[in-house]
Amino acid sequence: MLAYIAHYLVMVGIYTILATSLNLLVGYSGIFSLAHAAIYGIGAYASALAALQLGLGFWGGLLVAAVVGALAAALVAIPSLRVAGDYYIVASFGLQVVILTVFINWTSLTNGHAGLPGIPRPRVFGLVVDDPFKYVVLSLALAALTYLICRRLTASAFGRALRAVREDEIAAAATGKNVVAVKITITTISSALGALAGSLYAHYITYINPTSFSLDESIFITSLVILGGTERLAGPLVGSLILLAVPEALKFLAIPDTVAAPMRQILYGALLIVFMFVRPEGILGRARPRRAA
Amino acid sequence: MGAPIMTVQGVSKAFGGIQAVEACTFEVTPRLITGLIGPNGAGKTTVFNLITGFLRADGGSIRFKGEELLGMAPHEVEARGVVRTFQHLRLWGKMTVLENVLLGCRTPLGESVVSLFLRPARVREEEATARRRALEVLEFFGLAGRAHELAEDLAYPEQKLLSMARIFATDAEVLLLDEPTSGLDTDSLQRIVPMVRRLVEHGKTVLLIEHNMELIAQLSDEVVFLHQGRVMARGRAEQITRDPALTEIYFGV
Amino acid sequence: MDLALQLLATGLVVGSLYALCAIGWGLIYGTTLHFHVAHGAVFALAAYYAYVAQTWLRLPLAVAVLVAIVASAVSGLLIDLLLYQQLERRGAFRTSIFIASLGLLILLENVLAIVFTPDPMRMDIGALNTAVIIGPVFLTYLHILTVALALVGYGALMLFLKRSRWGQAIRAVSSAPEMARTVGIDLRRVHLLTYAVGSALAAPAGILVAMDVGAEPFRGTRFVLLASVGVIMGGIGSIPGAMLGGLFLGLLENLGIWKLPSEWQSAISFGVFLVFIVLRPRGFFGRTIHSAEI
Repeated sequence: MLAYIAHYLVMVGIYTILATSLNLLVGYSGIFSLAHAAIYGIGAYASALAALQLGLGFWGGLLVAAVVGALAAALVAIPSLRVAGDYYIVASFGLQVVILTVFINWTSLTNGHAGLPGIPRPRVFGLVVDDPFKYVVLSLALAALTYLICRRLTASAFGRALRAVREDEIAAAATGKNVVAVKITITTISSALGALAGSLYAHYITYINPTSFSLDESIFITSLVILGGTERLAGPLVGSLILLAVPEALKFLAIPDTVAAPMRQILYGALLIVFMFVRPEGILGRARPRRAA
Repeated sequence: MGAPIMTVQGVSKAFGGIQAVEACTFEVTPRLITGLIGPNGAGKTTVFNLITGFLRADGGSIRFKGEELLGMAPHEVEARGVVRTFQHLRLWGKMTVLENVLLGCRTPLGESVVSLFLRPARVREEEATARRRALEVLEFFGLAGRAHELAEDLAYPEQKLLSMARIFATDAEVLLLDEPTSGLDTDSLQRIVPMVRRLVEHGKTVLLIEHNMELIAQLSDEVVFLHQGRVMARGRAEQITRDPALTEIYFGV
Repeated sequence: MDLALQLLATGLVVGSLYALCAIGWGLIYGTTLHFHVAHGAVFALAAYYAYVAQTWLRLPLAVAVLVAIVASAVSGLLIDLLLYQQLERRGAFRTSIFIASLGLLILLENVLAIVFTPDPMRMDIGALNTAVIIGPVFLTYLHILTVALALVGYGALMLFLKRSRWGQAIRAVSSAPEMARTVGIDLRRVHLLTYAVGSALAAPAGILVAMDVGAEPFRGTRFVLLASVGVIMGGIGSIPGAMLGGLFLGLLENLGIWKLPSEWQSAISFGVFLVFIVLRPRGFFGRTIHSAEI
């Protein structure tokens, strides 16, 4: 039972990192990305391959993951963010599809559907993190680090510029902000952090395959962000705590697997719709007065 | 008078089939208030957009202190020292009055992610300096008491002042004011009009779009009269505003 | 060479499907500025409407198709009426509308997956399956019908937009909504009509695919993504552009596999899209929505 709770907490930590980093985009910058699962996957594969093929340790893997994730996002962001945000939705959608295709089809690198087994456990400060409880500490520590990084970003002049760009980018440009540079910067950071989560995941489960990084996963991460609220940094944590408990609840109701998967998706879909009506800022968000249509 | 600080030369811009601005040529003298007037649709805001890089001109040149502004992005134009306000203000309503002005202040370190994490002390210093400056600016505009309120909660005249405060904080030399007095009653006008004069006293150059002929006569030193995208007349304010032919164009159409 | 010709033909057929989705989606996006990803759900629903009409209600194929098209038009209209307009009434941002649309897409697809299972539901298309062989190229009547329907749909839409009163109202709202409102056009009604028409155009695409390979719940996502790519490449606000964009994508995908492995189809389309928006963000015929445009 305890090991089970430990597993839940590790996943909460990982998803908090994913949701916090996505929130930087969706919540703070008003940039919607559907590619976060692909970024998550890039981090996982980059880190796994760094360990398996290059013998890099955990920290090395984290670094590789962050860099590759950042590059992939920048590649897409640079052309698309120069024009309107809707272009980025399409571009991110496409990125998600393409990256998944790469995971599945570049079999010489990724082993395709068979996936990559045998990913080594991390060595942190000389200790091998090989049991769930140690992993809880690692996972929550990295989640806390992500939180602090995001806090620093959003509480600074950069964060102020970000909010200004989100609320009215024309006014921001007139006031001297390089709108495109700001957007590309935040997209890159968001992806670097999302890829970090992938690295954490890969070394925890020790086996990865493409199905964990599909569009469905992007939708799930989006649901976490929406549920928890985009205004507060603690929102993603709350969202993760709640939504990760749902599959377990469904298991208690003894619903067959073939129906359970689409049912979860229906839940996430319904959640997105309902929250847009009732509380677009999410559970933790400050209820703000609606903007006149 | 001295050499002009900004010269607009033969600038033109067409949208679809409509020629919004054509062969537009005028000069802006430093440390004066130049009024840009003309009937609705004359192309005044378009000229502002062209100067500040929000629109790409089809042809012509806009030189500021010897440098060509055409082709620059808005933030680059701002960095050179030319800023503008908007007719519809475009304040950041969900942010505080202080934050609105802070966004105008120079905070390059705080906006650089690298510096944010590697030089925290310098960033802190810069932010403190910026805050002090922002509060000074708010004092200057009489808004210091409202510093921590949301911009959207301000009364309209104060919002107008805030939009000026925001660009004043940028330290830009040339301020383009788009209808700074529109929508104000006579009492509120008395808050805005003196502020525009004080800007010039502070060493700024002002180019302002204004509809009220009387105010133009009161405020401007020089006037540029635009009609259907072309410069109809330029000169001292008293000349232009007393010219019957121009007045007819202004009110007649 | 033979292979190339076959791929060209297939590309035209697939391109016709994308084109139908693109002109419908483009009409909706250009007029309402909603990023209506749920268009993919309408695409999927159309297939199932036709399937149900034929297999459960025992309607003859042509009637089933017509019923399905009408049902899809109504579905699209209801999505706007019950979801987007309600959100707009509450002052929702555009991002919120997109998120709700995404939620609806996921919800509807998965409901279909539970009701019909994810396996393809095949339809009986009788004579349409007959092969047509033109030189080295192998097609079926269904494929030819697909291309024909795309052209007919495009022609009908252009005629509607140019000649009919309602079509002109849509164009007015599309190019200048505030102006349209001041001359007395009821924006809400125009939006509903736009959704009905746009959905009626996506429906044949969904149905034709179902007639070829069976109805599937999750196919719509891919189609709506490609539709939006096609619209952007063709130029936002341009129906001819969307038509060309869709055809172009279909040809690109298929000719791409002439030289590259087929699994990389989507990567090719997407890669071209990225290069395209770097070089010509305006698309073939459209106006760019620049970040800082007043």
